Amino acid sequence: MSDTQAKPNLIDPKLIVPFVNSVRHVLRSTAGWESTIDKPRYKQNPGLEYDYSGIISFSGTVLGTAVVSFHRELAIALVTAFAGCELPVDTPDFADAIGELTNLIVGAAKTELGMNASISIPSVIVGRGHIVVRPSDIPCIVVPCKTPAGEFAVEISIKSAAATKAA
Amino acid sequence: MDELNSEIRRLTLRVWDEVLSTKVEVAETVPTSAGPVVYSCVHISDAWNGVVALSCGERVSGKAAARMFQLKANPTTVDLQDALGELTNMIGGILKAILPQPSRPSLPTSIAGRDFSVRFLHSRVLTAVPFRCDGDFITVAVLQRHAASL
Repeated sequence: MSDTQAKPNLIDPKLIVPFVNSVRHVLRSTAGWESTIDKPRYKQNPGLEYDYSGIISFSGTVLGTAVVSFHRELAIALVTAFAGCELPVDTPDFADAIGELTNLIVGAAKTELGMNASISIPSVIVGRGHIVVRPSDIPCIVVPCKTPAGEFAVEISIKSAAATKAA
Repeated sequence: MDELNSEIRRLTLRVWDEVLSTKVEVAETVPTSAGPVVYSCVHISDAWNGVVALSCGERVSGKAAARMFQLKANPTTVDLQDALGELTNMIGGILKAILPQPSRPSLPTSIAGRDFSVRFLHSRVLTAVPFRCDGDFITVAVLQRHAASL
C-alpha cells in the first residue's frame, strides 16, 4: 500500500464524520449490511488498487472530489444486494448501480456537511488499475470501510472555495 | 450544436497553439487508442449541468506535460494527468461562458490507465469533437445532465 497513517490531529473530523455516517446508513438501508470504518489516513500517491470507482465532484463553496472505490468481488456482492438481483458485470446497468451507490453516499454526506455546495452527476470508472488524480493542492483522505463482503474505500479530497481564492 | 462544435474546435486549436506551441488538426471521426489513455473532466453545475471531458493518448499528454511543466525527464503518470487537467480546466472554463449562467465549474479530475471506461450517469453526449496531433488523438466531449435527474 502506498498510503501512510496520518497523525490523528491532522484530519478534521468535521470532514470525515459525515462520510462515515453516510456509508453506514447507505449500506444498512440499501444492502442490509453493517459496516465498520478503519482509521482514516492520508493518501500519499495514487495507486493501482481498485476495479471500480464512482466519482462525484463538488463545486460552489466547496471544491474537490469524493471517490468511492471497490474491488470487483465486493462490487458484485454490493450491487446484487442493492439491486435485489444479479446484474451482469461490465454492463452499463452494473456501472450505473455503482454510480447510484456513490451518489447516495456522497449526497448524504454533503447534506450533513451543511455546506452550500453543488455535487456533480456521478461518473463511474470501470477497469482494473485505473488511477484517479485530483488537484495536488488538496490533500486526499482515505476512509477504509469494512463490510461482510470485503473492504472498499471512500477517498475525500475537498476544501472550501474561499481557501482556494485566498491562496 | 453547431455553435458548440465550432467553439470547441476554435478553443482546442487555440489552447494547444498558445499554451503548448503545438499544432492540432480537426479529425473526421472519433478515434480509438490501442494504448494507454489519459482522461480528464470538469463538471459544470447550476443553471446548466453537465461535463466537459478531454481524452487523449499517452503520447499527446506526455508532450503536453513536458511543454507545460518544462520537464527534462520523462513525465510521470501524475504529470500527464495534471497537464490534461489544466488543459481541460482552460477549455471548460472558456466553454462555460457560452452556457446558461450562472454555472459553476468543478476542479478537474483526471484518470489514466491502459484499459478503462468512463460512464456518466443521467447524461447524454451533446457532442464529441475529434482532433489529431502528432499521430495521436485528442477528443473533446460535452455531456449534458438529463433534466429529469435534477
